[in-house]
Amino acid sequence: MTVVPSTHGERLAAFENVNFSYEDGTEALRGITLDIRKGEQIALVGGNGSGKTTLAKHLNGLLKPTTGRVIVKGSDTRKEQVANLARIVGYVFQNPDHQLFCSTVAEEVRFGPMNFGLAEPEVERRTERALEIMTLERLKAEAPLSLSLGDRRRISIASVIAMAPEVIILDEPFTGLDAGEAESLMDVMREMNRQGTTIILITHDMRVVAEHSDRVIVLSHGRKVFDSKTRTAFSDLKLLRECGLIPPPAIQVAHHLREYGVSPEITTVEELADELARVLREQQ
Amino acid sequence: MTIFIDLYSEGNTFLHRLDPRVKIISVLLLSLLAFVLSTVYSLAALLAFIFLLLFLSRASMGRTWFALRFVLRFMALIVILWPIFDPAGTPVWAELGPVKVTEPAVWRGITSAVRVGCLACVWYILMFTTAQRDLVRALVRMGLRFDYGLTLAISLRFFPSFMATISSITDAQKARGLDFNRGGLIKRSKKHVAVLVPAVVAALRTADSLSLALQSRAYGARTDRTYMRQLKMRTFDYVALTIVTMLFIVPLTAKYLFLVHF
Amino acid sequence: MKALNMCDVTVRYPDTDRAALDEVTFEIDRGEIMLILGARGAGKSTLCMLTNGLIPHAVSCSLTGKVEIFGREVSEHTVAEHSVKVGIVFQEPENQLFCMSVEEEVAFGPENLAVERDELVDRVERALEIVGLKGYNEKPPSSLSGGQRQRLAIAAALSMQPEMLVLDEPTYALDPVGRIELYTLLADLKRKHDMTVVIAGRDAEEAADYADRVALFKRGRLVRVGTPEELLTVPDELRNIGVPPLQVSEISEAIRLKIHEFECRDITVEGLVSHAARTIENRRAAR
Repeated sequence: MTVVPSTHGERLAAFENVNFSYEDGTEALRGITLDIRKGEQIALVGGNGSGKTTLAKHLNGLLKPTTGRVIVKGSDTRKEQVANLARIVGYVFQNPDHQLFCSTVAEEVRFGPMNFGLAEPEVERRTERALEIMTLERLKAEAPLSLSLGDRRRISIASVIAMAPEVIILDEPFTGLDAGEAESLMDVMREMNRQGTTIILITHDMRVVAEHSDRVIVLSHGRKVFDSKTRTAFSDLKLLRECGLIPPPAIQVAHHLREYGVSPEITTVEELADELARVLREQQ
Repeated sequence: MTIFIDLYSEGNTFLHRLDPRVKIISVLLLSLLAFVLSTVYSLAALLAFIFLLLFLSRASMGRTWFALRFVLRFMALIVILWPIFDPAGTPVWAELGPVKVTEPAVWRGITSAVRVGCLACVWYILMFTTAQRDLVRALVRMGLRFDYGLTLAISLRFFPSFMATISSITDAQKARGLDFNRGGLIKRSKKHVAVLVPAVVAALRTADSLSLALQSRAYGARTDRTYMRQLKMRTFDYVALTIVTMLFIVPLTAKYLFLVHF
Repeated sequence: MKALNMCDVTVRYPDTDRAALDEVTFEIDRGEIMLILGARGAGKSTLCMLTNGLIPHAVSCSLTGKVEIFGREVSEHTVAEHSVKVGIVFQEPENQLFCMSVEEEVAFGPENLAVERDELVDRVERALEIVGLKGYNEKPPSSLSGGQRQRLAIAAALSMQPEMLVLDEPTYALDPVGRIELYTLLADLKRKHDMTVVIAGRDAEEAADYADRVALFKRGRLVRVGTPEELLTVPDELRNIGVPPLQVSEISEAIRLKIHEFECRDITVEGLVSHAARTIENRRAAR
């Protein structure tokens, strides 16, 4: 296990030896210890049933540790209401249809800030901003349920952005999205991150992990088996495979060409091309 | 919060092995018997018998206790409340303002409580030892139309997933700052709209895809549908059925033919 | 006889401006694995529902043109009649498993067809064995993992002994290992059981290695049909229909922009690696 150096800002959340069991006795998290810092772009990965979602739900208090502690911004989640933690940690659920219930898009986005009891002008300001970030202004008077899945997902994300949380968790946000939609969603997330929002992405798309995260946490059977910078995360192919994960082709190619002097520490297709070009040029 | 929606636990006791039809009929007969019997002694004997069966079903203590907790509470409630609302008879044991507690009323209370205990526990035995699919299968074999049986089976099958959807929706709304514990009654019930609407939408979507899936698997193709699992009565089932029938008929005849009160 | 023969087919749902399938002429050969690629709204699900008659029989829409499934006109036979030729597996396993045990799930189709008991037992056992769920007979489907549920849905279709299996976005709920298991199973079905397999999806990544042919759809129209080598090696073909290009071909493309003689048309990681290794070695030798 690698320890991530505290290159980023203040500590937003900390897991202290967290164990969690569901009521039927399934141990979903075992001895999880980790810190989450301001401005990080974290990918939380692992096969189905590895405990990713369970871990993420501890951050906003939807689940409380069976033993151990989760500290969010200095307070123990066991002593906090989910409604209060929601101001700090925003959670975009996998299925947008599990939260859409209002008759217009704008109302849907307004729902979160309204729950916080904010003054009307502030609610409006945040709603407008969130609609703008997710490019939903045009659809704001539409009924969410009549829109496409891509739009519904954008609404669910806008409704979290409007709550202005410091951390945004996205649970498999690309399920059902087309290539273009996924790309523009990632662009928005990168921009939010640049402005200081911590992003936690739950996914099994290893290409997204490689290209859009700076830190990877790998879970397997409820244990943290890996926690490191993305660049070095893909060095142990065997470990990844044991966790049900397959690195993206670019990284596989780099690994296979190691003996020719290609560095396996690449994350994107462009970096691989650069690296290959460098190696080829050296031959001349 | 734990809800045992499906009380069945796997096992291999004779109660598990009995034909589900025999079990359904037996439970009905024993339930009726609880109404035929009228003295506290005979009912107590029946309850003892049912407890014995419950014990033999080898249901886990946790599950049995979970089930019995409600029954025992309800029985206690009957024993306490009955004399308060039934002032008939003598001798009077206690009098407190308008409330009069008489000895016969106390006994009547206890009798009713034991009867309720019998009724509840006999059904628990059925639920503990019979898989839902066998219950549905038995009902269909006993004459329920296959369509209705399938509908029942699908409802039982999807109930837990529907509950899971509701809990996931509740989580999603809580994560958007919705606090179900704040506000007055009206305000709170309004908050449940945020759960209800997505739940209904999800249920309708499920129903839609289910109907396509059913048709793709030739549902309703022929009226002479076959069944892979056939229920077959064995000697053991007949013996059990005979015993329960006797258990029911003997007190019944005694009561109405010979006017002997059990 | 073709497994599926569509001629000038247009499908329109009520209250929509655009046709879900727009003058599509298209064939699927027996015994091939056909990959149908397209973004959302390309018409993939509509095409899948046409293959066993759910369209026009169970879904309200208008259908014009000729659709023949194993030589039988789609509207002249019921869904049940088509279902012995074509098994369908839908996107979400959860909503197509409605029985209380694995065994009942697999037996449901043939029971509806009034298959005799001995043969029923046989079919159920065989279907469970093929998908690797032997011995799970009494388990409730809800206790299975996502990948197992998917395979159960396949077994439930196989027990009706279809000649074609159609899967609508089958990798939707699977993790990468689950996906590879699924494609291996489908390739086996083709090889050992002469199954015609149709896979509708919105990315070609894992399926590319297994498909015999690929059809590209865009907004209800068939854009191109060809072999994976012809279509999947050209990133722009896929970008054009809103589908992410194969990462391997994207890598080749990116390298070619920097090193012009790098012309790799292979769609597997292994192929790309050996091509790159050869290029490096050639340069070394030239020096």
